Amino acid sequence: MAEFTATVFQNEFLPDGGTDVHAIVTVDCSGAGTAGQTGSGAAGEIVIIDTSGSMGQSAMAAAKQAAQAALTEIVDGTYFAVISGNGAAFLAYPLVNSGPAMVPMNEATRAEATDAISRLRSGGGTEISTWLDMAGVLFTSVPQVVQRHAILLTDGENNEPAPVLDEAIARATGFYQCDCRGVGVDWKVEEIRRIAQALLGTVDIIARPETMAADFQAMMQTAMARGVANAELRVWTPQGAQILFVRQVSPTVEDLTHRRTAVNDLTGGYPTGAWSDESRDYHVAVRLAAKAVGQEQLAARVQLAIGDEVKAQGLVKAKWSDDSELTTRIDQQVAHYTGQTELALAIQEGLAAKAAGNEELATTKLGRAVQLAKETGNEEATSKLRKVVDVEDEEAGTVRLKKTVEKADEMALDTASTKTTRVRQ
Amino acid sequence: MTETPAASAQTCPHCGALLETDAKFCEACGKAVGAETAAAPAATGEPSPLDDVSPISAVTARPGTAAPEAAAGSRAPCLQCGGAVDDDGYCTQCGTKAPDPRDHFEEQPAPWVGGVCDRGIRHHRNEDAMAMAVDGPRVVLVVCDGVSNTVDSHIGSMNAAHAVLDVLRPPLPRGLGVPESRDAAITRLFTDAAAAGQRAIAATVPEDVPNPPSCTLVAAVLDDDVVHFCGIGDSRIYLLPDAGDGQMLTVDDSMAQLLILGGTPRAEAEASKQAHSITKWLGKDSVEIVPRVGQVRVTGPGWLLACSDGLWNYASEPAAIQEQIAAAGSDDPLVIARHLVAFANASGGQDNIAAALARVGKNADAAPAPVAAHGGETDG
Repeated sequence: MAEFTATVFQNEFLPDGGTDVHAIVTVDCSGAGTAGQTGSGAAGEIVIIDTSGSMGQSAMAAAKQAAQAALTEIVDGTYFAVISGNGAAFLAYPLVNSGPAMVPMNEATRAEATDAISRLRSGGGTEISTWLDMAGVLFTSVPQVVQRHAILLTDGENNEPAPVLDEAIARATGFYQCDCRGVGVDWKVEEIRRIAQALLGTVDIIARPETMAADFQAMMQTAMARGVANAELRVWTPQGAQILFVRQVSPTVEDLTHRRTAVNDLTGGYPTGAWSDESRDYHVAVRLAAKAVGQEQLAARVQLAIGDEVKAQGLVKAKWSDDSELTTRIDQQVAHYTGQTELALAIQEGLAAKAAGNEELATTKLGRAVQLAKETGNEEATSKLRKVVDVEDEEAGTVRLKKTVEKADEMALDTASTKTTRVRQ
Repeated sequence: MTETPAASAQTCPHCGALLETDAKFCEACGKAVGAETAAAPAATGEPSPLDDVSPISAVTARPGTAAPEAAAGSRAPCLQCGGAVDDDGYCTQCGTKAPDPRDHFEEQPAPWVGGVCDRGIRHHRNEDAMAMAVDGPRVVLVVCDGVSNTVDSHIGSMNAAHAVLDVLRPPLPRGLGVPESRDAAITRLFTDAAAAGQRAIAATVPEDVPNPPSCTLVAAVLDDDVVHFCGIGDSRIYLLPDAGDGQMLTVDDSMAQLLILGGTPRAEAEASKQAHSITKWLGKDSVEIVPRVGQVRVTGPGWLLACSDGLWNYASEPAAIQEQIAAAGSDDPLVIARHLVAFANASGGQDNIAAALARVGKNADAAPAPVAAHGGETDG
C-alpha cells in the first residue's frame, strides 16, 4: 500500500500588512508497487511510433527497435497496443477489427507485437491529432483499464493547424498520460511540450537514434513502477483568500494553476497523474487578507488525495509579526524554486527570441538564465546553456550568442529547461 | 464557580457557541447557561488529576498525557467566524488558529484560590505550568517555568508541576511531634516532591534526546496559618498582606541573585544580561535538585502568590505586586491573577506568565512575620 507524506517549507512570518504566503510542499510516495498490480485496476500502455515519410531508414530502424525494447519492459498482464502514425493513425497491434483493441501482455502477444512492429514501413505526413485520438479510442475499448499511459515518438513538425492539435490534446487531457520523445532536429519542441505538459508526461530529444532503445526502455520502466494510478493535489484556502499559483517545481516545472477543479467551495484539485516511489515538490502561493500583528492563521492545507481519500497533508501558515528579523527571511526552498522557475522561463523566452531573430532579447534572456543556473546550482542547465552561448561573466549574466550552434543542442536546452534541481541540504 | 478552564473550552449547551468566561447567558442564542455548563468540557474521558474534593481544570494536561488538543474530542467553534475547527487546530472556513488550551489556562479549585497561566506575547508556546489543590483550609500552589530552548519543556514543566502537587497534596507530616522533627519531615517532603518533579520531567522525552527539557520549581503549602515553601530556579513565592510590607519568601537560583549577594542592587542585577540564567533547575541534566525550603507564619489577611519570572520581570519588589493586586480591585483570586497576567502582557509579555494566588490570614490582623527557617539555605 502506497504511503504519502507531505513536508512544508516556508517562512510563515508576514510583516504588518503582508498578504502573500509562499510555501514549498514536498510530497513523498513510498511503497507504490507496480502499475496494474495493486488491486486498484488494470494498467494500459500504448506505444505510438511516427511512421511518416520523413523518418529515414536509420531513424525508422531505431524507432522499431526502441518500440520493441519498450515492449520487453511492459509487465505481463498489462493491456497494451501499438499505433503507427503518419497522416492518419493505424492500429499496428493487436490486429482486431472490432471489440477491445488492447490485449494483455504475455509471451505470445509480445512476440506478435514485436513482429508487427518489424513490418512497419514509413510514408505519408504527420498529423498527431489523429494519433492522440486513436489512443483515446483504444483506451476506451478496455474499460477495465484505469491507469492509462502512452509513449509517443515523432521526428517531424505537425502538419496540422494548431487548433486541431490543441483540440485533440484537450480530448486526451485527464484521460491518459503521455511521455513524448522527438528524434532528430526537425520536430518542434514547443509543439510536443504542449502535448506532454497537458498529458502529465515528459518531453525530451533523442539526438542520436542509437540511444533510442535505452531511452524507451527507461521510460517504460518508469511507467511500470507507477503503482499509484492517479492522485490529486488538493489545496484548501480560507474563505476570501486567493490562490496566486500552484506549480509543480520538482522534478520539472509545471504550472497547475489553471488546471484546478473544484472539490468544494474552498478546496481545489490539481491533477498529478500516476505515482511511483518518488518525491515531488509543489510551490503554492496564496494571498490573504492581512491580519493584526500577533495573529496566526492557516493559509493553506495542501493534501495529496487518491479518490476521496486524503493520504497526506501539509499546513501552510501565516503569522503576522513586527519583528523584521523574522519577516524578511526568505525560505531557502522558496527562493531556490522561484529562481528555477524563472530559469525555465528565461531559457524558453531566450530561445524563442533567438528563433525569431531578436538577438538582443535572446542575449538578455539567456544571460539571465546563465546567472540563475549558477545561483540555483543547476549544473545541467549551465552545461546546456554553454553550448548555445559564450559566457563572459557568469555571475553578472553577461553572454554572447554563439555564431554556430548545433540545432540539437538548442533543442536539448529547450526540452531540459523545465527540469529542476533540488536544494542541496 | 468552582472551575474555570480556558475560555475557549466553554461552549453553550444549547447551541454550541463559545461562551465568555463566567457567562450567565449565551451571546449567540440568548439562553441561560448554568454553573453545570462550565463543568461539561471536563468530560474528556481522562480521569481528573485531582480527587473529587478539589476539582481542577479539565483542559490542563495531565502528567504523561498527550498534548491538550488530542484530548479535545469536540473542538469549540472558531472564535473568528464560528466555523468548525479541524483536528489540525485551524478553522475549516477562515483558517484562524483556534487557541491552544495550553497557551492560556485558568484554575480555581476554591473561591479563595485561583491562578492563570498564559503564553504571554513574545513566546510561541507556553512553557510555564501551574498546579494547585485545596483540602479544607489547606492549599498547595505549584509553579514550574519550562526552560526555553529545551525539547518539549512545555510538556515537561506541566508533568513536573503535577508530580510535585501529587507529593504535596496529602496532609503534611507531623514528624515525632516536636518542632525540629516536624520541620525535618517537611524538608524531606519538599525534597521528595522535587525529586518526583525531576523524574516526571525526565520521563517526558526519550533517553537520547540531546537537549532534554528542564524547568524551575516553586511550591507553597499553607497549613494552619503557616506557609511552607520551596524553590529551585528563579520562580518565586511572595507573601503579600493587604496592609504593610510584602515579602519575597524564596531566593532565586540565578545569576542575578549571585550579583545581589555580591552587592549589586536588585534592580540593577535583575536588568543585567545574564540575570535570567538559572543556576539550579529540574531536568535530566540537572546536578542539584535539593530545593531551598522555608516557612513563615501568616499573621494578617493578604495573598500568597506563586509566580514565574514572566510576572516578576515587571514587578519584582513586593510593593509593586501589591500595587497591582490593589489595582485589580477584587477579592476574587482569579480576577486578580487575570489582572496580573494582563499587567505583564501590557508591560511587554516577553515571557510566559504563571500567577497562582491563595487568600491567607482571613482572621488575623497583625502584619506577617517570619517565625522560623529550616533546612538547606533558607531565607525568610
